[in-house]
Amino acid sequence: MNIIVINCGSSSIKYQLFDMTKNEVVARGLVDKIGLHGSYIKHERNDGDKVTLEGEIVDHQIGIEYMLGILISKKRGSIKSFEEIDAVGHRVVHGGEKFHASVLIDEQVMAGIKDCVDLAPLHNPPNLKGIYAMQSMLPNVPQVATFDTAFHQTMPDYTYMYAIPYSLYTKYGIRRYGFHGSSHRFVSNRAAKMLNTYLKKLRLITCHLGNGASITAIKDGGSMDTSMGLTPVEGLIMGTRTGDLDLGVLTYIMSKEEIGVPVANTLINKHSGMIGITGISSDMREIEKAAFEDNNERANLGLKMYHYRIKKYIGAYMAAMGGADAIVFTGGIGENAPDSREEICRGLEFAGIDFDLDKNAATRGKEAIISKDNSPVKVMVIPTNEELVIAEDTARIIKEIK
Amino acid sequence: MPERLSDYSLQKKIVQGRNGGLHKVGVIGAGSMGQEIIRIISGQGIEVVYIDMTEELLVEIRKSIEKQLDEIINKWGITSSEKRAIMSRIKGSTDYNDIRDCDLIIETIHRKGRGTSLQDRKEVFRKVEAIIDTRTVIASNNATLMISDLASALRHPERAVGFNFITPVSKVGIVEVIRGLDTNDGSFDFAIRFIKMLDKRPITLNESLGNISTRLIVTLINEACEILMEGVASINCIDDTMKLGYGLQLGPFELADRVGLDKVQKWMDNLYFEYGEQKFKPSPILKRLVRANHLGRKAGKGFYKYENGKIVSQAITTTDYI
Repeated sequence: MNIIVINCGSSSIKYQLFDMTKNEVVARGLVDKIGLHGSYIKHERNDGDKVTLEGEIVDHQIGIEYMLGILISKKRGSIKSFEEIDAVGHRVVHGGEKFHASVLIDEQVMAGIKDCVDLAPLHNPPNLKGIYAMQSMLPNVPQVATFDTAFHQTMPDYTYMYAIPYSLYTKYGIRRYGFHGSSHRFVSNRAAKMLNTYLKKLRLITCHLGNGASITAIKDGGSMDTSMGLTPVEGLIMGTRTGDLDLGVLTYIMSKEEIGVPVANTLINKHSGMIGITGISSDMREIEKAAFEDNNERANLGLKMYHYRIKKYIGAYMAAMGGADAIVFTGGIGENAPDSREEICRGLEFAGIDFDLDKNAATRGKEAIISKDNSPVKVMVIPTNEELVIAEDTARIIKEIK
Repeated sequence: MPERLSDYSLQKKIVQGRNGGLHKVGVIGAGSMGQEIIRIISGQGIEVVYIDMTEELLVEIRKSIEKQLDEIINKWGITSSEKRAIMSRIKGSTDYNDIRDCDLIIETIHRKGRGTSLQDRKEVFRKVEAIIDTRTVIASNNATLMISDLASALRHPERAVGFNFITPVSKVGIVEVIRGLDTNDGSFDFAIRFIKMLDKRPITLNESLGNISTRLIVTLINEACEILMEGVASINCIDDTMKLGYGLQLGPFELADRVGLDKVQKWMDNLYFEYGEQKFKPSPILKRLVRANHLGRKAGKGFYKYENGKIVSQAITTTDYI
């Protein structure tokens, strides 16, 4: 069974072709700078064959057409014809309260995704473009949508509601939705397998630490609370986003700096977080370098703040769930930054976290348990794979309809 | 033969090259308005080539755009990597040949001193047309000239459209898009699409000297000057009435100072010349201030006095003029 997984951004399309019988990625690539000068496709086959082709790609439709053209070509392709494509899985960012799981796309689902455009004005429209383009190219191939928000739909109302007038919730759907759902779901399932038990029996805290970052409390097999909210700006300190912030700070800045809503948005999304504090970079590697090699004061401060915020959330979620069985690290930083993991877990012995410094130091980008063998709370590193989640969901849904 | 992207096209309709795409814009004349326009076009990921008279000017313009972007960074509008990307798409040249492959040309020259820039702009239109493809749209950015006058200099007048960007361009959400007598649907639609790409609402209109914005704003400023001259009320009171009473962001005097009193007078002169109506005749107060070089915010003094671009006090009272 061959499945194409698509992730459409405003000017890019990331894609992977999965062979689900072998559970492997056959080809992958990126269409970038769509509609802009210098647009190109970068394509890579699993036998190492690579190519980058520049040319005019005016919209997502044309980008997908070229992508399919390459996939079925003799020279660079992996399949002979479109007949060999069994389904397409799309990543859709916001599913609002409508979508609790991945679904087969039909007219009703399309209307539902459109209804969520207001909640994710930058993300849902390009996702829709990708679906339209695929539908026009492969009208007989079933398509599935996987939502970033779906996994968090199990949250109870007392964790997802904001303490604002209730009418604003009913009027605009303003509440916590959470993001990185596919990632939290993937690593929690893997954690259960690694611990040789059922997910339903576990209380997990999953930390997705990349350029964007979120942390989720998982209980009874589902998300119970998560740090991102209506938008991805809430919660942990990120590369360029504030995370949690006193709302009064924002209104105070807006009046002092005489800025309007669009600029305030840029301020909290692009100028803040680690780059805002350190003034060095949004990249954790560069900040660690400045802190460790040059003893840069603000880099040190930034790192302390970053780790502290995560530690605080871990404590809060342990209290919320009545303890935890495991803490899971994933995402670029979670998988590859032993120093950060060490700082976050330091001093948590009181909560049953017995961290193993050696195991931690030896773990980068691979699955491992990095707490001591007899630690009551396990600490784990699990590389995430959101595309695989989409491919597996798509395969499952296709099998069900057949 | 080298491998090309088009080798993988599934439908014949995908052709390499220009197919209504908008990737590169030529801007002729890069004064303060031209620079603002260049900045926001490049900010949307579109390449810009600007043409000005001398190499020294080109360098100066580039520096000035960089400085504006630095100010925006300081005000949290963009990030420094976005600035680098914006600057990388902007190129200056003194040679019209460098706009040959542009998808749209915008003329935005400015003329210092009194008198109309019509002849200079016509000359630019002629020079541009001699270089570019027959289908490329040529636009003129101005407030008080008729696009048909400029189009008459072209062999293909159907491709001429008018724009009126209002300063500060990055904050103002509309652009007037003006159809001349000969402008065809294709050119007009293309111009509308371009303005939408800049994230602005295109206000479409048939040509009329002063468009919507300038005709309305100069009469407001003129009437405010009348009230001041009659000794009815102070500058502050008049501005506050319009701001607090009718929700205008700036009062008529603040607005005039921001636009530049010389520019306001030029608008009025052109409108008065065209329509012959008293309401457009520049107020004596305005003329006196312009003569004295009290040109508004940029000069530090106009209707108000300014320090670091901020109002510190009224510069004149009614009695000064009675």
